[in-house]
Amino acid sequence: MLALTEMLRRKVQFSLVMAVVALIAYLVLMVTGLGLGLQEKAGTALLNLDGDYLAYADRSNLSVIRSRLTDAQVADIAAAPGVEAATPIGYVAAVVEYGDDETATAALIGVDPGSFAEPRPIDGGPLTGPDQVLIDRSWASLGGTEVGDSIALPVGFATREFMVVGIVDQGSFFFQPAIYLDRSAWQDVSYQGAADQTPAASIVVLRGSGLDGARGEGWVAVTKQTGFDNIEGVAAQQSTVNALRYMGLLIGAMVIGVFFYVLTIQKVALLGILKAIGASGWFLAGQSLLQVFIISVAGAGIAVGLALLTEATVLASDAVPIAFTPGAMLSTAVAVAVSGVLGAALSIRQVTSIDPIVAMQPQ
Amino acid sequence: MPILELRGVTRTFGSGSQAVDAVNDVSLTVAEGEMIALVGPSGSGKSTLLAMVGALLTPSAGEILVGGVDIARYGGSERTRFRRDRVGFVFQGSNMVPFLTARENLLLVGEFGGANRKELRARADQLLQELELTDVASSIASRLSGGERQRVAIARALMRDPALLLVDEPTASLNTELGTKVVDALVREVHGRSKACVMVTHDTRMAERADRIVEIRDGRISSEDLAATSSGAT
Repeated sequence: MLALTEMLRRKVQFSLVMAVVALIAYLVLMVTGLGLGLQEKAGTALLNLDGDYLAYADRSNLSVIRSRLTDAQVADIAAAPGVEAATPIGYVAAVVEYGDDETATAALIGVDPGSFAEPRPIDGGPLTGPDQVLIDRSWASLGGTEVGDSIALPVGFATREFMVVGIVDQGSFFFQPAIYLDRSAWQDVSYQGAADQTPAASIVVLRGSGLDGARGEGWVAVTKQTGFDNIEGVAAQQSTVNALRYMGLLIGAMVIGVFFYVLTIQKVALLGILKAIGASGWFLAGQSLLQVFIISVAGAGIAVGLALLTEATVLASDAVPIAFTPGAMLSTAVAVAVSGVLGAALSIRQVTSIDPIVAMQPQ
Repeated sequence: MPILELRGVTRTFGSGSQAVDAVNDVSLTVAEGEMIALVGPSGSGKSTLLAMVGALLTPSAGEILVGGVDIARYGGSERTRFRRDRVGFVFQGSNMVPFLTARENLLLVGEFGGANRKELRARADQLLQELELTDVASSIASRLSGGERQRVAIARALMRDPALLLVDEPTASLNTELGTKVVDALVREVHGRSKACVMVTHDTRMAERADRIVEIRDGRISSEDLAATSSGAT
């Protein structure tokens, strides 16, 4: 094959452009990973809730922070048509004391023990009392906290000791690792001192069907994904990351396009001779496309390898919020390959429009 | 029936008062096993004529019959197929694909389709031998000497066994000795394989090796002579 032989015999030229494509694809992959990582930190704990819909106070603008529901509202939500199961949860960010006088912030999530909002522990056991907590894996690795240790949460102006009974794998909420505790304890931490005004919950997790947009006495229900998308900052963050991704793909397409354009211009005389001795424009265009395709796919493949290597080494610690999923890697690699081929479309036109008469011009 | 017959072929460039007849009412026949040299000063129209016979350019008027079929009427894809199957081209320079070996340059014509690859391989080896290229068959084209390159170009032009060979200034970049060797090889193939050949050249010593010399001035045939040294078809 003409195209493959050319690549093999002009290794330097073609490997250089392959390296450039690989680096661009790597950049796009890292940005994609950053987007996923940020998303994870922003609210996997919410997405991992074992329900379909979330009900918010209707004036909260779908903000978990601002949403407050009364006992009556929680009961009203649970009784709404289409609801199969409902369980309230509370959220508050708090400074947690642990270990040897160290502190860190965490997302405290109050649940009813035994309800479907309580995550299953991967280590230890479930909540059985109001002075127990389940901590997320990421918190455990942060402070070296283990099952059986105790941590202190602020209640009023003092602190109260809680026993770690289990470790869960739910991720973070608002960029902080999640800690699960009894809803009454959550009320104490959040609203100590105003007993008659204490909200029952922040939001209610629902199972059921057709509840998107359902409304009742001072509440509104949306899908879990909508709730997630409305977490403060998530939409802006994702659009920033996406803009970076598309920019990277565009640059990749342009680099491949310009490279092949220059390469084609350099070969006009040769392509003219090939046409003059009977090669059709489509045959030559096909050969060029094959080269672009190989370079794009190989470049994207190298980038995936680099990304996996980065993940295994540099990102092994949790310091940088980059996460890769096989799907994201595959779609990014495909996007790079596709944009490379699109970028080369210009050269393809150039190839098909060369007049074979150039073969007769003195060289 | 002659392999090539031109009837009143005219090619006009430009239009209105700017119009120039690069080739004006040329009629010519070339028989099987006959090699003609097309000579004339620069700008006489000899290259334009060759381009039209090779379906690289369409005439403004007239007929170009190759094997009795008028190629002037061909559309784009028919002209591509004609160039691939029925005519062999040797250009003056930069003929080869530089990153392929001499043998690969010959086999390249198989990639354009419509050929039996196995037959092509046998034919390539035979042509390499006939043109004394066996030793350089595996050399990359860009490392071949000018004379070797032109002989590879002749071999490539013969790969599809076309009835007609078109050769444009084959010795332009060669010294007399190498040029003579190339033209002699060409003459041998034309006579040995009974091809019709049109060679455009500036060089009268090369032209004299053809069977007939056709001189063109200002787009018209000005004289047609049997070459003095021609031995004729054998």
